[in-house]
Amino acid sequence: MKETRHAEQRAAILLAVLLLFAVSCSKSPGVYRKTKPLMDTLVTITVVAGSDKEADAAIEKAFSVIEQFGDKIDFFKDTSELSAINRNAGVNPVKVSPETLGVIERAIYISGISDGAFDPTIGPEIKMWNFYKKIRPSDDAIRNNLSLVNYRNIIVNRDKSTVFLRRKGMLMDLGGIAKGYAADLALADLRQSGIGAGIVAAAGDIRAFGLKPDRTPWNVGIKNPRQKSDADDLMATARLSNKAVSTSGDYERYFMEDGRRYHHILDPKTGYPAGQCRSVTVISDDGIFADGFTTAVFVLGPEKGMKLVRDSGVDAVIVDKDGVIHTTPGIKKMVTFEDGH
Amino acid sequence: MKTVIRNTTVADKLLFLTLIAASVAGIFFSREAMPQGPDIVITVDGKPQYTLPRDKDRLVSIPGPFGDTVVEIKDGKVRVKEAHCPNRLCEKQGWISRGAIVCLPNHIVITVGGKAGDLPRGIDAVTG
Amino acid sequence: MQLQDKYRIAVLSAYALSLHAFESLLPTPIPWLRLGLANIITLVALVLYGFRTAMTVTLIRVILGSIFMGTFLGPSFMLSFSGGVASTAAMGLAYLTFGNIFGPVGLSLIGALFHNIAQLTLAYFLFIQRVEAVLFIAPVIVLIGTLTGVANGAVSGLLIKKLLQKDGEKIQNDKAD
Repeated sequence: MKETRHAEQRAAILLAVLLLFAVSCSKSPGVYRKTKPLMDTLVTITVVAGSDKEADAAIEKAFSVIEQFGDKIDFFKDTSELSAINRNAGVNPVKVSPETLGVIERAIYISGISDGAFDPTIGPEIKMWNFYKKIRPSDDAIRNNLSLVNYRNIIVNRDKSTVFLRRKGMLMDLGGIAKGYAADLALADLRQSGIGAGIVAAAGDIRAFGLKPDRTPWNVGIKNPRQKSDADDLMATARLSNKAVSTSGDYERYFMEDGRRYHHILDPKTGYPAGQCRSVTVISDDGIFADGFTTAVFVLGPEKGMKLVRDSGVDAVIVDKDGVIHTTPGIKKMVTFEDGH
Repeated sequence: MKTVIRNTTVADKLLFLTLIAASVAGIFFSREAMPQGPDIVITVDGKPQYTLPRDKDRLVSIPGPFGDTVVEIKDGKVRVKEAHCPNRLCEKQGWISRGAIVCLPNHIVITVGGKAGDLPRGIDAVTG
Repeated sequence: MQLQDKYRIAVLSAYALSLHAFESLLPTPIPWLRLGLANIITLVALVLYGFRTAMTVTLIRVILGSIFMGTFLGPSFMLSFSGGVASTAAMGLAYLTFGNIFGPVGLSLIGALFHNIAQLTLAYFLFIQRVEAVLFIAPVIVLIGTLTGVANGAVSGLLIKKLLQKDGEKIQNDKAD
């Protein structure tokens, strides 16, 4: 009888230990993740925090930062600051908030160093395309609007905090650079909330900072531009901490017509989809070189693009139009490629 | 009841407690760990048939052995709106924003998380 | 003895089948909430009459049961079959290896556990093929199985005791396996 009592005591202790284990494991510094539809895409924020309440508060705050910024530069919203700028093209400078000014200045910078391979004034051209309905503009329409595409016609006055589009009919589209900027804003906000590690992912624009609770870097998958099934959706995995990653690909928004691929990354000099690359992924310490930069490198092609990457001191993976992968030397330390790539 | 308890051995009790503890712990873990991901993947007969973005509200009708199963995506969540399988278990699961809904008779599995949320491979985010 | 074995198997199978049929008539809000009443018969058979008898009864129940339901060789048959075989084998092994360390409740728990493992594994390969989905529902299924396993085990235990008292005859344990 005594034996049974001891055995039962041991069982009770075992149960208590197991339950404690279960409870504590879901509450110790853990990784928390939330997703919210924002800026016309899905934004996922992952943080390392001590409790789900702490994580939730920080993440929701970061989401609202992104939402507010998104409203300011929303191309399709009449009340956005961007729309005000576009409406007043050729008419007036428009006063804007610091965030909008910041992203526009960043866009101009990238346009400058890429000699126009990235150009936020691509608005009039991209507006004529519809990738869901498979509509593309005529060659004449494309040619006629080309003169409106010129980043040098964006006049920024820092002191007055104004932006002016010099020619009537100019349209600025910040889609190619806004998500990255939003991610940077969110990152700063998370840091302010006291979060030490996490990832902000606005669609494919990613900012990873700090390390996971087990002291390993974050694993970021790089999509395979020509995936054929669920199994080969990733071509590589990057192990990162304190890096910004961005990718531009010809598979994000596109349609096929007569065997040709028409995608959303237009060459500002010709108005047609740039055809030298399938995808470009840039990994850098600074968010400035992520977003719009990948578009610029994509348009420039593997040789000129790689030169720009090296001159800027960042790392990149370029998959050219034939599927050949070009990388910077620094990539080897960070990225592991899947078999077959 | 007393007869029953007297009939059980120590090993029995231990086994019972372990199983209960393990499954309860497992439930906690699986709820915490489930990815949210940006896509809803609907697998039919083991093959992913539909990969849909969560941010677009829509209704999808999937034919199966027990008629058409209607899946609804709204506000980033998904549910089985209408099913004709014998148990209607899938309908009863309501809206999910993470994890999965399974309709075994119709061979349909709806997972939230798709590729970007693939836990087994340990990927935290996907670019591209 | 051969005749008595056959007789026993037939009677046990009949009980198992009717329990199975009865159970399928019960409305369940959740399909996973199968009470597994037929497993009581399997367990009683195992303890009183040996592994071979228990396995035979299980096989008969699963096969005939699915023929009656019209699902023979179909996916539900595959699930029942694998679940039944796995649980009977596991219980048999546990009983033969560990003797009396486990009582009927413990054996029933083991049976339930392996029944569920086999079914989940088969479901993964046949239908689901997304590990996350299977891992997600697995703990719930195991939990339910554990609870029903205890109940079944308790009933089995009572039945065994009653039958041992009633018969008073020599029970032949089939140790040939």
